[in-house]
Amino acid sequence: MQNDLSHYKEILVKGIWRENPVAYQVLGICSALAVTVKMSTALVMSIALTLVAGFSGLIISSLRHLIPSNIRIIVELTVIASLVIVTDQILQAYLYDISKQLSIFVGLIITNCIILGRAEAFALANNPADSFVDGIANGLGYSMILMAVAFFRELLGSGQFFGISVIPQFVYDMGFQDMGIMVLAPGAFFIIGLLVWLKNSLPGGISHEKK
Amino acid sequence: MSDKKQSKRSFKNSRVYVVFFALIVALVFSVLITSAATMLKPLHQQNRILDKKTNLLEAANLLPDNEKLTPEKIQTIYDTHIREVHADPRGQILRNATGDSLQLYLIHTDQQVQGYIVPISTRGLWGKIHGYLAFEADGETVAGFSVYSHSETPGLGGEIESQWFQDNFKGKKILNAHNQLVSVNIAKGKSENLPENLQDHYVDGISGATLTGRYLSEGLEETLTQYEPVSIIFRQKKGSQTHLETLLDE
Repeated sequence: MQNDLSHYKEILVKGIWRENPVAYQVLGICSALAVTVKMSTALVMSIALTLVAGFSGLIISSLRHLIPSNIRIIVELTVIASLVIVTDQILQAYLYDISKQLSIFVGLIITNCIILGRAEAFALANNPADSFVDGIANGLGYSMILMAVAFFRELLGSGQFFGISVIPQFVYDMGFQDMGIMVLAPGAFFIIGLLVWLKNSLPGGISHEKK
Repeated sequence: MSDKKQSKRSFKNSRVYVVFFALIVALVFSVLITSAATMLKPLHQQNRILDKKTNLLEAANLLPDNEKLTPEKIQTIYDTHIREVHADPRGQILRNATGDSLQLYLIHTDQQVQGYIVPISTRGLWGKIHGYLAFEADGETVAGFSVYSHSETPGLGGEIESQWFQDNFKGKKILNAHNQLVSVNIAKGKSENLPENLQDHYVDGISGATLTGRYLSEGLEETLTQYEPVSIIFRQKKGSQTHLETLLDE
């Protein structure tokens, strides 16, 4: 039992931190650029991607002994696409405003490299429970970066936190201005770049491995 | 043992098994998607109708800024201020649709007509752009603009749904000094860089979205030409407040 727990912990740490999909494998960047203008959209996108990653891992891993190897990518995509469409339908029904802002990006989870990457690299070779944990872990790793990027972009770009203005008026009176570039895609690029640098210079990052 | 494994592997890749497996997977997941879509359809429709009404109110400037309204509240404002009508090709306003009539919304307060809203539907860069353009009762001043559905690039053409772009339209004129229809156009860059006589007919463009702007300009002109007879009727009543029912009875 103890062994089991540490085994899951190992998978979680790997997905969330050590081999973080955005900061280490540099995957899923396009959606990270697009949906991080506001924290609310980033949060919804994170939850959607984490759930799809977890359940697609679970389903593909359960089918791994049955899937013929020459159509495995098609089957993986069918599973992922179906889960994404269902997620999109649910968002449109219950979170219509946010789903409109996320526009095509929820649909594009289908082509998000993190999900197919986990299906190919992990779910096809491991048991369903491990694959589920691995999917969730990678989703959380992605979410962590997304939320961090969105935090800086929303704070610096619009002076808000989850849509609530947090920068007091006197700061503006003293001459502070919202940074327009943070709202645009280049702002996200800078922040992701800085986060990748930060992550990799912390203990356990690439530069330490090489030494 | 290895023989058995071998035969199992080849069976898994045999044509019959592959086709059978693909069919089963396709069937199971299409049932999943269909049931999700069917079960959530009523909610989707409700959301879409509410969104349409919110956008009509937004174009007419009837929504308070920065305030989240409940669906019931939006419904109430809509019912007291907006009336869906139709116009025949000569610009006469009708209660009900006929074969070749145009859809149109009247804005009214206490039964006094304040203006009208024209639905906009044009091509964009990637897909259709749908929105509303509201006019004041003089038939030439734009009161507001809103977009409720588009598939432009987020951050570029997608900016057409942002507040600054839509506020841009307020107060623009669709008639020039000679009372000819010039529509509202999207400028390349800022409208203040244009010659003075054009500034009233151009709104600031979105940098990096030249094509979206061009298509939207074309679409607006086309729609406004179509609705010109209606606008003429409003212009003839210039200044005078019109009672909703008298306009409808004519």
